[in-house]
Amino acid sequence: MEENHLECNSVVDGNVEDVPDKKVIKFNPPLYRQRYEFVKNLVAQHEPKKVADLGCGDVFLLRMLKYQKCLEELVGVDINEEKFKWHGCKLSACVGDHLYPRELDLIITLYQGSVLEKDCRLVGFDMVTCIELIEHFDSEDLAKFPEVVFGYMSPAMIVISTPNSDFNSLFPYSDFRDLDHKFEWSRMEFQTWALDVANRYNYSVEFTGVGEPPSGAEDVGYCTQIGIFHRKAQATEPDISEQQGQHVYQVAYTTSYPSLQQIKYRRRVVVYETYREVHRMRRKYKMGLTWCELEADPEDSDNPRRKFTSDLPSPQPLKEAEKSTEMTPKPFCIGDKFYVPLERIIAYPKVKHLCGNVEELRALIADAVELNCSGSAVQVDLDHYADC
Amino acid sequence: MSGRARARARGRARSPSAAEVGRLHASPSPPSVGLGDSEVSSSSGPVGTSRISQKYGISAGDAGCTFKERGGKLRRDFVDLAVCTREKMAHVRNCKKGSSGIPVKLVTNLFNLDLPQDWQLYQYHVTYNPDIESRRLRIALLYNHRELSNKAKAFDGVILFLSQKLEDKVTELSSETRRGETVKMTITLTRELPASSPVCIQVFNIIFKKILKRLSMYQIGRNFYNPSEPVEIPQHKLSLWPGFAVSVSYFERSLLFSADVSYKVLRNETVLEFMTDLCHKTGMSCFTQTCEKQLIGVIVLTRYNNKTYRINDIDWSVKPTHTFQKRDGTEITYVDYYKQQYDITLSDLNQPVLVSLLKSKRNDDTEVRMAHLIPELCFLTGLPSQATTDFQLMKAVAEETRLNPLGRQQRLARLADDIQRNKDARFELETWGLHFGCQMSLTGRVLPSEKIILQDHVCQPASAADWSRDMRTCKILSAQSLNKWLIICSSRAERVMESFLNCLRKVGSPMGFHVEYPKIIKVQENAAAFVHAIQKHVDPEVQLVMCILPSQKNYYDCIKKYLSSDCPVPSQCVLAQTLNKQGMMMSVATKIAMQMTCKLGGELWAVEIPLKSLMVVGIDVCKDACSKGMVVVGFVASINPRITRWFSRCILQRAATDIADCLKVFMIGALNKWHKHNHDVPARIIVYRDGVGDGQLKTLMEYEVPQLLSSVTEASSNTSPRLSVIVVRKRCLSRFLTESGRTVQNPPLGTIVDSEATRPEWYDFYLVSQAACRGTVSPTYYNVIYDDNGLKPDHMQRLTFKLCHLYYNWPGLISVPAPCQYAHKLTFLVAQSIHKEPNLELASSLFYL
Repeated sequence: MEENHLECNSVVDGNVEDVPDKKVIKFNPPLYRQRYEFVKNLVAQHEPKKVADLGCGDVFLLRMLKYQKCLEELVGVDINEEKFKWHGCKLSACVGDHLYPRELDLIITLYQGSVLEKDCRLVGFDMVTCIELIEHFDSEDLAKFPEVVFGYMSPAMIVISTPNSDFNSLFPYSDFRDLDHKFEWSRMEFQTWALDVANRYNYSVEFTGVGEPPSGAEDVGYCTQIGIFHRKAQATEPDISEQQGQHVYQVAYTTSYPSLQQIKYRRRVVVYETYREVHRMRRKYKMGLTWCELEADPEDSDNPRRKFTSDLPSPQPLKEAEKSTEMTPKPFCIGDKFYVPLERIIAYPKVKHLCGNVEELRALIADAVELNCSGSAVQVDLDHYADC
Repeated sequence: MSGRARARARGRARSPSAAEVGRLHASPSPPSVGLGDSEVSSSSGPVGTSRISQKYGISAGDAGCTFKERGGKLRRDFVDLAVCTREKMAHVRNCKKGSSGIPVKLVTNLFNLDLPQDWQLYQYHVTYNPDIESRRLRIALLYNHRELSNKAKAFDGVILFLSQKLEDKVTELSSETRRGETVKMTITLTRELPASSPVCIQVFNIIFKKILKRLSMYQIGRNFYNPSEPVEIPQHKLSLWPGFAVSVSYFERSLLFSADVSYKVLRNETVLEFMTDLCHKTGMSCFTQTCEKQLIGVIVLTRYNNKTYRINDIDWSVKPTHTFQKRDGTEITYVDYYKQQYDITLSDLNQPVLVSLLKSKRNDDTEVRMAHLIPELCFLTGLPSQATTDFQLMKAVAEETRLNPLGRQQRLARLADDIQRNKDARFELETWGLHFGCQMSLTGRVLPSEKIILQDHVCQPASAADWSRDMRTCKILSAQSLNKWLIICSSRAERVMESFLNCLRKVGSPMGFHVEYPKIIKVQENAAAFVHAIQKHVDPEVQLVMCILPSQKNYYDCIKKYLSSDCPVPSQCVLAQTLNKQGMMMSVATKIAMQMTCKLGGELWAVEIPLKSLMVVGIDVCKDACSKGMVVVGFVASINPRITRWFSRCILQRAATDIADCLKVFMIGALNKWHKHNHDVPARIIVYRDGVGDGQLKTLMEYEVPQLLSSVTEASSNTSPRLSVIVVRKRCLSRFLTESGRTVQNPPLGTIVDSEATRPEWYDFYLVSQAACRGTVSPTYYNVIYDDNGLKPDHMQRLTFKLCHLYYNWPGLISVPAPCQYAHKLTFLVAQSIHKEPNLELASSLFYL
């Protein structure tokens, strides 16, 4: 919202010191950043899947949150679409996300609309954040707000932050912190409101804040006060009418991230991992050969298998994962082809994690990787430029 | 052998890395780590000298203002556009078009960009009171102001461009910070620019950059790529992203948008994985050196943002568990930083950090900053260095990326369609008053085909792409007979060598190349044995040494090194494997016989050259493969009027050194040689200069041309030769196709384009002189930057076309004039194998073929 915009814009470049700022109290990191960090830590701690930021402004919080692995859906709502245009594309997946996809799907959507209107797409979230939002409401809007967020959206967690006017005594001026603020509450006022709302909609609430007061003035409390609301019991499932409710918000921007849940990306990663392992084993195998030729024991030389199993003395001790693969069928060589049984490949934790069993592995790689005729092993040329 | 020769003759792929960055040790400056905050755009300029004239901003007339894109860099190719060479050449000032040939209708990859007649760009200067230093805050304050929110604008923090004029010359706006503090922004109109101004071109390019991002494309380096349908080559760990190289600029008559299909090679390999592999390969002893050698200079892409960095160093003493200072002054470990910031858990706590030096965004700020990067989070980009020698890999890449004319045309059509249909893209264009028009067609000409002159026969080849059949039974122009020579081979290759020798003698005689029976030396299969045998048996009478090699590497380099510089004797290396190919023996032998003739100073064929006393020169530059920061400059000049004999010189020098310095020596040497053979100086000299990077035109004009001129005037006391200098570029954005029915095809050989797709400020033309069987042909671009000869444009074009017929390693047309290709072949041999100057005794033969 308005109050944030100057701050946030300065965040974008990270040069917060540049904000013309004559006030006595400076926060480090700056206050807006502390608020967002606070939310990010909450997300890291509670691992919600779906998070919505109401009054998301220039989407800075969403940009911080998009890296969180637990998330599957991120939504931002703001009435001011101008900023979306400018900042929306910063939420899209980056090049690296395509090369190294996330585990879970992630869809980020920005809606243009008023948070005082009900839109069924905002129902069923795990966390809804309203950072420095409510102080922009006039009394009429403030009265509508709990019904929409607590009553209708009814997420498992709600985070509301607002200025603490007790702290204002430390500022040299007596006005509100932003021209658009309709009120600034003392801790008592905020907590009274919050407890009342929590009671009404069956939430519990705890209070905290960010922006430590300077020493000697601890009694004014945090500069920003924060209420964290938890829905008490599992509310009744949102009924059908609400599920099919209206779409009142306009989609201003939407983007979807590549993830391992999508077959296209899973296949890709599995194929690359397979090749990586096969190439690693082939190199090891070939080095083993030379090593063996150099140090062949006379008693062992009649055993052709000996060659195939020798490994170079590894610079590091065998890892647990490598030990487990030792139990599986060994790679082998026929002519100028090198074979690695699928069972061996799937023993590697990374591959195992991506496909549960050999059948799935075979199905995923069959189009891209050459298999032997029985389909039980990967087949590659024994000689490859990358090995020398 | 034939395949290799062919590939080199046709497609000389330049290595995709940018100009050299020498290894810089960043230790003296305090390690101010700017993690993930700055960018190094991985511009991939072709190899060349590194006098990068970034300091020359785009000056638009009087004021000399420079507008900075994000990252503060100017595109180097724009710098070249400010060098207006045509106005100094009186004979082409009015018309630079040729006339001969048959007109042909061509489709281009250019699109019209229409602007209203009276369109202007309004440039404003913006000041803040109180002053604000942060560029982004300045931008944010201005962009968020209601007054400007719906206007098309481009702003770099100081200079603001609008397509609509503000009401007043000076506009005062104010924004309030939340402390109630008022920031006044004063916006003063400084200039009104016509659409033709170079500044506007830059703004148009910024607009299209925005548009392509709207189309979900990613900017990597200078081009834009689409991640949704990559081509995967998993066995080589490569992903190829399709995309476009785009640019907006003023062509002959109008503003045009050009787009060419491009692929970005991304590697599914992190630097850490690369290091681990390398460590297993090399062992610990020489790991760090090898690793630095292979990684320094490489461009990496970080996983968590869209930025690319060049690796300048590896700091082995820093681990992820070490701390660095964040901007707010607090200390944090790299591990914690990445966990907190990006929710990434580093798996290897012993990896070193990569060091990248960041160029400052602000021009006046000369402080060099370093970024520390974690290998695990950096992806390699571009083809691996060893891959270029891997035939399988290169073939796989070529097959995936090669597009036939129709495929290319479809991609372009889809891009144009996307730009026209996308709501945001259209909005962006409309607010600026731009209209994205249709694909441009133009008329080119197909030059008449050339006759090939042999000793007692003149043939009109069935196809100018390959006349090997036409000359099968013909005698070549001249050949020395080969009387005393050596063949060195291993005993394993003896039989195949014998049958090859028979073949060679059999094909030699109809050509007019007499081959005596050589002295055959059998050696063991190792490089040292080959070299030892050469040392032992070569005496001054030996005309040529042929080596039948068991494999390419090692053998080739040390043999060539010895015989090109230590003991100058022409040499011919043949892979035993090549001779083993069944049914290929005759054609292999023919090719090798021709190469051997050339190496002995023979001449194969000629074309008719109407100018009676003309010397042509080719110049090329190649990076040395071994020592970074060194380049090889090659200079090849014709020394007879028929243009069949050549004088070839080259030099190794620091990349930073001006090429101009050695040109004088080379030119004087060539003129002396000419004088020796012809007892006069040539009346005309035409220099084809290849290996010119973006932004180097000014250097060429200011340093190279004067050097060449002075050596030419010094050559003769009375009438000195007249000089022309032509810049040759194989890589240009333009493509031309002919329409036939509902499909499109490559244009015929000899197609000239000298209008519409050319530049008004230059005397330039395109020539399609090579055949592309499967892909889309790329025309070669010629820019005549200096011309005393005053040849008609038509004659200049035809002469250039004729010269494309004279490369003796390929019986057919090639993409550049033969002297350029010779210079390239010479520099390539020196840069890859010899690494020092070849002996002067070899300068009069094409010993490097």
